[in-house]
Amino acid sequence: MNNFVQLVRNEWMKLLNQKATWIMAAILVLLVIASGVLFKIDDTATGVDAPTGDNWKQELQEQNEQLQKQEVGDIQYPGYRNVEENQYRIENDIKPTSYNAWDFVRQSRVFVALVSLFTIIVAAGITANEFRWGTIKLLLIRPISRSKILFAKYVSVLTYAWAMLVVLFVLSFIVGISLFGLDGMTEVYVYAQDGVYQQADIFSFTVSQYVLSSVELIMMATFAFMIAAVFRNTSLAIGLSIFLMMAGSSIVVFFMNKDWAKYILFANTDLNQFIEGTPMFSGITIGFSITILAVYYIVFMVVSWVFFTKRDVAGA
Amino acid sequence: MSEAVMQLKNVSKTIGKKEIIKGLDFNIYSGEVFGFLGPNGAGKTTTIRMMVGLMKMSDGDIIIKGHSVNEDFKQAICHVGGIVENPEMYPFMSGWKNLVHYSRMMPDITKERIHEVVQLVGLENRIKEKAGKYSLGMRQRLGIAQALLHKPSVLILDEPTNGLDPSGIREIRAYIRKLASEEGVAVIVSSHILSEMEMMCDRIGIIKSGELISIQTVQDALQETEEKEVSIEAVPVDVTMTALKDITGKSVTREQDILTFAVEREKIPGVVSKLVHKGVHIYSINVNRSTLEDKFLDLIGEGSIE
Repeated sequence: MNNFVQLVRNEWMKLLNQKATWIMAAILVLLVIASGVLFKIDDTATGVDAPTGDNWKQELQEQNEQLQKQEVGDIQYPGYRNVEENQYRIENDIKPTSYNAWDFVRQSRVFVALVSLFTIIVAAGITANEFRWGTIKLLLIRPISRSKILFAKYVSVLTYAWAMLVVLFVLSFIVGISLFGLDGMTEVYVYAQDGVYQQADIFSFTVSQYVLSSVELIMMATFAFMIAAVFRNTSLAIGLSIFLMMAGSSIVVFFMNKDWAKYILFANTDLNQFIEGTPMFSGITIGFSITILAVYYIVFMVVSWVFFTKRDVAGA
Repeated sequence: MSEAVMQLKNVSKTIGKKEIIKGLDFNIYSGEVFGFLGPNGAGKTTTIRMMVGLMKMSDGDIIIKGHSVNEDFKQAICHVGGIVENPEMYPFMSGWKNLVHYSRMMPDITKERIHEVVQLVGLENRIKEKAGKYSLGMRQRLGIAQALLHKPSVLILDEPTNGLDPSGIREIRAYIRKLASEEGVAVIVSSHILSEMEMMCDRIGIIKSGELISIQTVQDALQETEEKEVSIEAVPVDVTMTALKDITGKSVTREQDILTFAVEREKIPGVVSKLVHKGVHIYSINVNRSTLEDKFLDLIGEGSIE
């Protein structure tokens, strides 16, 4: 086990010594800061005046009446344009909050796609680059099984993805606090699941959203890892994975009316659909999606392992 | 001979329907430098890849220090250090970090040991520089350094002098000889350049189209009594020619101003001094093809060597 840790340290040493790793991290940091600044300057996205005063219930009530008359024009806080949500708040005595750090952290979840992209690049390169550099010939002639080397590489990819997600979360929180302030570590978040309004603690809700977002990320990274292990070609693995990540939902929509569409990987990668929003296919449950994901995952891993451990390292 | 550290037993490799390596059977002993000679595409690199487990054998087995590469890869490879083809390193890391990387993959290698090998290959001044900035010669040294980290019993170097300048080649050669004689390491060197092999190897196995066609023992050059073909450029040519015939008692051929004759190597200085006594001006003297080279070319055919 001890030399497994050493192998992961090796992979991290190689990652941290490559410029690309730092460039990717810098891009993420800059984009998060830039989006914060943008939201700060352009407050149409964040709303100026949420009804946070003592008579907020009354304000929300008036607003709902306006909304029901379809006179949307006067309302300045876009976060509170939903009649059912406002009703739920009034009934459950949950006072609205103005745009703050937590909202920014939730919005920064769009950058999980960027983290996916970077993780795909890392996952594709971590084995295929060894072939490209020729260093695979020095790597595999050690008293360590190929399976262990492959697994160490995979674990390094996962730790990279989680590290980037933590960076994203913490950075968004810091940028959020400094630009929009924080009402408190605890806050009640109101959201709709399949049309029904519910509440949750903002911290655990946001963390679970990030964790669920990482599911697609890990599936795509594992896919890229497999392609790289099979074809030993970084560009192919990156290209194919990014294409599928982009085209994923279109593929599902295209086959929407087929019986087997719900078995497509991309119909199941977004586990957030079971928490907030409406599932893509009626009748699929979170259990179903997890089963499908597990099947794909096992296939990806087994194929990677078979090709990496069984095939000869020939040619230049 | 001493202990056989590596035994090849009927090692074969078939890719598709083509048999690339056909039943190799030979031993490598500790303290010797074994040359693996053959034209490009003869199967040298394939054999080396099978020795280090990069490729699987279709048939047969390789036993390293009593451990089968097929059955007990980890134990077998523990005793092997090597460079397969070019010494490829991580270009974005320093030479030092490259060595740390490989040291973590083998048991019990201390920092002191890494320092030791760096010193051994003479890279101490440049070890903190990125490997991408190294010349091929320096990369070759770094490659040897990583191969020696764990004090292997067998050192495999695939084309170790490839791309090196003459002084680099000489250094590597001296270094390989030293490892074999002082540390008792069995060194396997592959090449397609015969003259190079002759200078550093104790035995040379000649491989052609995947078959081992001959194993030759290289004589120590200084004690060699075999006849060598010598050509000499000297004036006046006629005087030289008659003198040579007298001295050697054999026929001398003339091609323009170059005279060629056969003589034992140990007698060459005597021949030269006699010529000088006769007032001949010698401009150049060359020992041509060795007997081994003749044999080698006979064995594999002149056209197929680079």
